[in-house]
Amino acid sequence: MPKFWKPGLAALTALTVCAMTYAQAPGPGREEFGLTTKQLVQYVERVEAGIAKCMRAQGFEYIAADYETVRKGMSADKKLPGMSEEDFIAKHGFGAATMYTGQAMQLSNGYSPARVGLGERNVNIFKNLPAAGQAAYNRALLGQNTDATFAIGLERENFSRIGGCTLDAVKQVFSAEQLSASYYNPKDAIVNKDPRMKTALRKYAAEMRKSGYDYNHPDEVEPDIRKRLDTLTQGGTLTAEKMSAEQSAALKNLQNYERRVAIKNHELAEKIFKPVEEQIEKEMFARGVQ
Amino acid sequence: MTGNRLVVLASVLVAIAVAAGVAWVAGSRIESPADAAARTAPPAPSPILVPVEKRVLGANVVTRGTARFGLPQPVSLAPSALKPQAGLVTTLPARNAQMNEGAVLLTASGRPVFLFEGKVPAYRDLVPGASGDDVRQLEQALKRLGFDPGPLDGVYDQQTGAAVARWYAKKGWEPFGPTREQLGVLRALEREWADAEKAQVAAMAALMSMGPAVEAARAAAEFNNRTAAIDLAAKTVELQRLEQSSRQDAKLTIDDERAKAAHGNSAADADLAAQIAERAVIELDPRQPETARISANAKLEVARAAAHRARVGGQLAVQTAERAADSAGDKIQQLTAAKSAATLAERSVRLEGEKAIRAALDAQKLAAVDAKLSAERARQLSVDLEAAKRKIGIQVPVDELVFIPSLPVRVEEIKVLVGTSAMGTVLTVTDNQLAIDSSLSLETAPLVKPGMPAVIDEQALGVKATGKVQVVASTPGTRAGVDPLHVYMEIKVDATQVRLEGASVRVTIPIKSTQGAVTAVPNSAVSLAADGTSRVQVKRKDGLEYVVVTPGLSADGFIEVSAVSGKLEPGELVVVGYNNARAAEDGAKPAGIAGAGNAAAASAKPPPDPK
Repeated sequence: MPKFWKPGLAALTALTVCAMTYAQAPGPGREEFGLTTKQLVQYVERVEAGIAKCMRAQGFEYIAADYETVRKGMSADKKLPGMSEEDFIAKHGFGAATMYTGQAMQLSNGYSPARVGLGERNVNIFKNLPAAGQAAYNRALLGQNTDATFAIGLERENFSRIGGCTLDAVKQVFSAEQLSASYYNPKDAIVNKDPRMKTALRKYAAEMRKSGYDYNHPDEVEPDIRKRLDTLTQGGTLTAEKMSAEQSAALKNLQNYERRVAIKNHELAEKIFKPVEEQIEKEMFARGVQ
Repeated sequence: MTGNRLVVLASVLVAIAVAAGVAWVAGSRIESPADAAARTAPPAPSPILVPVEKRVLGANVVTRGTARFGLPQPVSLAPSALKPQAGLVTTLPARNAQMNEGAVLLTASGRPVFLFEGKVPAYRDLVPGASGDDVRQLEQALKRLGFDPGPLDGVYDQQTGAAVARWYAKKGWEPFGPTREQLGVLRALEREWADAEKAQVAAMAALMSMGPAVEAARAAAEFNNRTAAIDLAAKTVELQRLEQSSRQDAKLTIDDERAKAAHGNSAADADLAAQIAERAVIELDPRQPETARISANAKLEVARAAAHRARVGGQLAVQTAERAADSAGDKIQQLTAAKSAATLAERSVRLEGEKAIRAALDAQKLAAVDAKLSAERARQLSVDLEAAKRKIGIQVPVDELVFIPSLPVRVEEIKVLVGTSAMGTVLTVTDNQLAIDSSLSLETAPLVKPGMPAVIDEQALGVKATGKVQVVASTPGTRAGVDPLHVYMEIKVDATQVRLEGASVRVTIPIKSTQGAVTAVPNSAVSLAADGTSRVQVKRKDGLEYVVVTPGLSADGFIEVSAVSGKLEPGELVVVGYNNARAAEDGAKPAGIAGAGNAAAASAKPPPDPK
């Protein structure tokens, strides 16, 4: 008995300390990138201030968008007034190729979450610029992908497509890990590591293949559509009006493909992932995440 | 024994598990006072240090602009008087083509339209003998292109024409020689000149003949005057003589005639009485024959007739004398009238003479004028002929020439099509002088003045150039594309090989500079002491030390400082803020250095830790 008493007590003590430490460590926030709401507000303000400073250095005017504006931009992603997410997906897929015009987002009159996230004043500043100035403005603000605004990147928790002053400002606030294309926020990382989720992913991949799509993860679908669109539109420089008949036909095919795959993706997400995610999150956030 | 051990081991493990569970619950629910105190206690401040730098500080105005070439200017072709009509466009340049001096801008009906540099637009045909600034421009252009046109005097002379001919030939075009119309005009002028020469000779001859004519008129007038004067004088003398003699003579004549009549009557009466007596004698003398009686009777009758005739003759003579006296008055009257007539005639002759002389003089003047006009016309025609002869040579039709103030230019827009008439504005060009249309905010506009240097760049396009502020509008929103909250600014770009046209570029205008490297610290390193002095906190070996400084120019987040008390050397560390644990907790990166906003401050921060 004395032989087991000492190591047992030590193990008990160690376990107790570990358990208490683990319980006291702050968990991931519920907002994007695992941030708390307070952190998200601060991040947004810092990034927007950084964008404004960088744009000023480039000679452009940029009014730092407030959190509410950025939030509206985030909320506008894949949503249209009076249309549910399902309806949107059924009609416009991811809103990538289906909504493509080739025009700068600021000049778009219809669906444009990117425009919403920039704020009306910045859109007006953009509209007052000459054509070359508009191109330079978006290049300075967004880099190559002129639809990848901060709000959209934040909403999609993917800053891999952002560039220009937006990237510079995001780099000042977010970590290198958060900027990587393969980044998953802590919550999603935990969820994805769960064996049930891995099983779900295998099921998803199998279902997609059964439907004729070669995707292993739902997060692969939209980037793939955008990659194809970029190729077709020469990096977004070719407007829909200037496309040849062949290019127009290819765009139409891509739009149809986008709708089909988006519907299937959404269907599987609802059917396979949602219950699993809900269950895992339920278990995870029962620990009292901030 | 082994079973007991297993039971003990299992019990221990269960106890451990239970204890771990309890500890987890306790750890998540219970917070010790020390933890609570630690959580709520202010964090221990630690200074954020950045090095003092030696750098050039400059305050800049940064804005954007769009590069463009000069404003489009139209290229127009004027109709040439040397050609019956405008040609048809046969070739056109490509849009954006760059055109240098001497380039063929386009061709019309197989003729070239050359481009030359010059401020005066081509507005007339440049022909031999022409002079003016346009000719000088042509000469200068030919000189620049290596075709010596002689002196650059603005006169299209033979050398100019020769240079034009060489230029055309070098470019593979036939020079434009005299037209059929020009040659026809020359021939007509030659004929006219010959006629005018003849007319001049005739007029001169007429003029020369006018001198003798005038002299003849004068002589004739003189002669007539004299004749009239003589006639008048004769009549005057005769009249005077007649007037003097007529009255006395008439009376004497009458008296004479009366006396003669009386005498005749007396004689006749005496003769009659004698005859009567004689007849009475005869009668009474019977011896007298009858014949004597008859003869006495006849003699008596003759005597009676003679007496009668004497009486009648006397009466007649008296009457005649009286009548003669009367007729002398008439004659005086006639002579007076004749004198008056002679006087009038004399005047008339004099006037006629004067008139004739005047007419001769007028004719002489007319002849002189005619001669002068003939000579003038002949001279003018001679000049015209010479001018026409000089104009016959190599010439440049106005529709084969375009002058542009500054070359080279690039074709901006083509206004005509091949096959259409090459007249009026055929295309627009812009010069190669790059300019940037930009704007300034209302607050920065007063800081920027024309002439200030500007740095032009666009990182994304890899362009970099320099320029100068050319124009800063005085009123906001007065140019196209500039809203009422901005002021238009134009930057003239210095010569550069970089293609900027159409690009949106960044324009940086240094408005103030330290003109050299100065000691500088981040703005946030400078604080205000209670006594009003500025100071920085410097890290020394033995801790932090305040150094009083004099602040200078502030730009780019840095401020120029010079130490008043103590030393401040580049490389020394100054405090720009203090790490704030709460900020670190709230934000991913502790950017809590108010006002620093610079790379140096950022580099002093700990690595990013969003968690």
